[in-house]
Amino acid sequence: MADTPEEIQKAQKKYILIGLILFVFTVVTVAVATVPWLDFGEHGFDSKDAIIGLIIASFKATLVGAIFMHLNHEKKTIYGVLVLGVLMGIALLGLIWWSFEDPIEYGDSVEGDGFFNPEETVNQD
Amino acid sequence: MEIPYTVTARKDTGLFNSKVGIWLFLASEVMLFGGLFSGYVFLRIYADYPWPERALPIVPGLINTFVLIGSSVTVVFAWASLKMRQWRRFQVFMGITIVCAGLFMVLKGIEYKAKWEHQAVRMDDFAIIEGHAHYGTVMANGEVDHFHTKKEAKKAGGGKPFKTNKILFRPATIDFSVVRAHEPWITEMLEQAGKRKSKLVTSGDVFLYGHIEDYAGTEGEPLSGKDRSKRETDIVKEFGKAEESLARKFGENSLYIPAGTPLDYELIKKARKAYIAGRAHNAETRTAILKENWKRVKEKLPEQEYWKQAPEAKIDAATQLNEQFDGQGNCVSGSKVVSLISTLSFRMDPPQPLVIKRSWIKRPVKAKDGKAELRDDTTLSAGEEQDQGTGLLASPVALSVDAIDFRWMAQKAEEAGKEPMEVIEQSWIFSKDNKHQGDYKQIWKVHKKRIGELEQELVEKYGKDPEGKPKRVPTETDRYRVTWQDLVHYARAKQDSLMPGDSGFDDLRPKFWDGFAGPNHKDEEIHKLHAFPELEVPHHKVSMQSMFTPKWNTYYAIYFTLTGLHGLHVIGGAIVLGYFLFFSKGLYRRNPEWLANRVEVGGLFWHFVDLVWIFLFPILYLM
Repeated sequence: MADTPEEIQKAQKKYILIGLILFVFTVVTVAVATVPWLDFGEHGFDSKDAIIGLIIASFKATLVGAIFMHLNHEKKTIYGVLVLGVLMGIALLGLIWWSFEDPIEYGDSVEGDGFFNPEETVNQD
Repeated sequence: MEIPYTVTARKDTGLFNSKVGIWLFLASEVMLFGGLFSGYVFLRIYADYPWPERALPIVPGLINTFVLIGSSVTVVFAWASLKMRQWRRFQVFMGITIVCAGLFMVLKGIEYKAKWEHQAVRMDDFAIIEGHAHYGTVMANGEVDHFHTKKEAKKAGGGKPFKTNKILFRPATIDFSVVRAHEPWITEMLEQAGKRKSKLVTSGDVFLYGHIEDYAGTEGEPLSGKDRSKRETDIVKEFGKAEESLARKFGENSLYIPAGTPLDYELIKKARKAYIAGRAHNAETRTAILKENWKRVKEKLPEQEYWKQAPEAKIDAATQLNEQFDGQGNCVSGSKVVSLISTLSFRMDPPQPLVIKRSWIKRPVKAKDGKAELRDDTTLSAGEEQDQGTGLLASPVALSVDAIDFRWMAQKAEEAGKEPMEVIEQSWIFSKDNKHQGDYKQIWKVHKKRIGELEQELVEKYGKDPEGKPKRVPTETDRYRVTWQDLVHYARAKQDSLMPGDSGFDDLRPKFWDGFAGPNHKDEEIHKLHAFPELEVPHHKVSMQSMFTPKWNTYYAIYFTLTGLHGLHVIGGAIVLGYFLFFSKGLYRRNPEWLANRVEVGGLFWHFVDLVWIFLFPILYLM
């Protein structure tokens, strides 16, 4: 870690550069979402736009973590603490995948809600 | 005692205490926000309604992203300044960081306020109408008038202006549950009745029996009629003269309310006390009777099993009330169970409209029922006399519309195997029942033409696949949602007599940075163009109405949860950093390295707050 005044003096340029990169990529994120010729995938918002948006966000988050939070050269103890938290965080997001295994089926109740066709309210099965 | 490793690092870990502490805390924060982000994804993929993607105005979110990134840079510079022992420079950078935190919260406040003031209505045909609710006022003659702004409504000189998302009911009688009646609602009704020169008074004499041990006293010590009369007299004295009461037998905690007593919450509270006392008395009495019955049955059928004895021992509610009195008025036979009165009925004299919040209502109010039931079990009834009408007055949600969303209706139509466009065009908003139908038909005509043009444009640009299907088509949102930008666009085009496809039509479209916090109803151009047309959604067509709050849908619920929690982190972080800025000069003089360590730890938290926002901005504003 930059600890001596000289090293810190030097590191300041890096901080400004990272700040600028973060600004630029914020503009890129907005541009990808709003400018038609930067629209990936289908016309309008779709999963590809979501993935690109999240990749840019992850890249920005990595820069903040690595440079501003000095995670690019931190002590082992801190990596240990953080890895545990991040793994738990990922496990929480993993709940979404597991939810696809949910044995409850919704199809019929949506189909037969009979708003426009009252006679369909009765489940045909 | 001196705490070790606050300034210097431990040899084994190479870290000072607070750094390990903050990272442990941040690891738990990762899990907290991880869970909430997971909740967001969950709600989004399982939403049974069209998710409001890109629903928030981008500019405040974008500026806030710049502000937080900027503050992340300045906080790291503040730390660097301390490391280089430059106090003045530290003050400047830390000051900027805190100003950034303030700016972030101000922008968030503007954004939240816009949401709380934005009205949404879901109609019974699943059309969603968004806009700015008008203001209504009840005039002196009991008529209701609607106005665009609160100011205009005030000027009209009626009662207190109310947003036109309320229900107006003219009750002949109001029945309050003595147990559940909610004081603020009673106060509000009394205030309104007072303003409209109406009174709420009891319609008839009411006798609430609490305790009746004085019917007969106990078996050993029967109470004389004289004693009881004295108690009655005391109670009657409190509420006025009541000839009827003389024939009845009051006990402790009983209450006599003569006809014409005005409503106030204290009265309800007294009635509640009588009701509760009566109920407790009845429970005791019934238990005693049951015990007596069992004793009798066991003597009569000693050999039988208990389940065969049980039917003989049960209390028959009807016969138990049949009390017999002797010449002195003492209860000599029958039970001492009192009849309980759980509601108090008040007459509104003369009947006047009451403005009721929809959130008070227990179930939808229908004109034919002549009743409005509130969640505290209060019932407003129109009465049966012909001149009192139906009770429910025309209570439309009147608003200036800034978005019309048929996506849900289209979804429902597709589920029912119908053509969405046909269903949309048969909806109420385009029907003769809507007095503004002309405006909406015109808007829809232009919108359909614009989407047609877009469809063609996409085919020309991206071509078709081998099966002849266009590679790119307009989205559901393009097709079925008319946004405020669309409304302004079409109004401008109308003024210039342009239609989609004409040259110059597309140039009239508002840009994404127009309308800072969403549609601006005070904007002069919008006002002049009459870009946001009026609409009065009849009461019976409203299936749900709300401001853009967590109640409206799961998107706003998770939006407020995530941004609210993040906002609290911003406030908390700013307080800690502010403490370093304003109260740490002494520590800097004594031990500058210690302060630098503290600022590093505070800075780490601040970077984390920035990091969370880096994800919140795209998922809430851009996706």
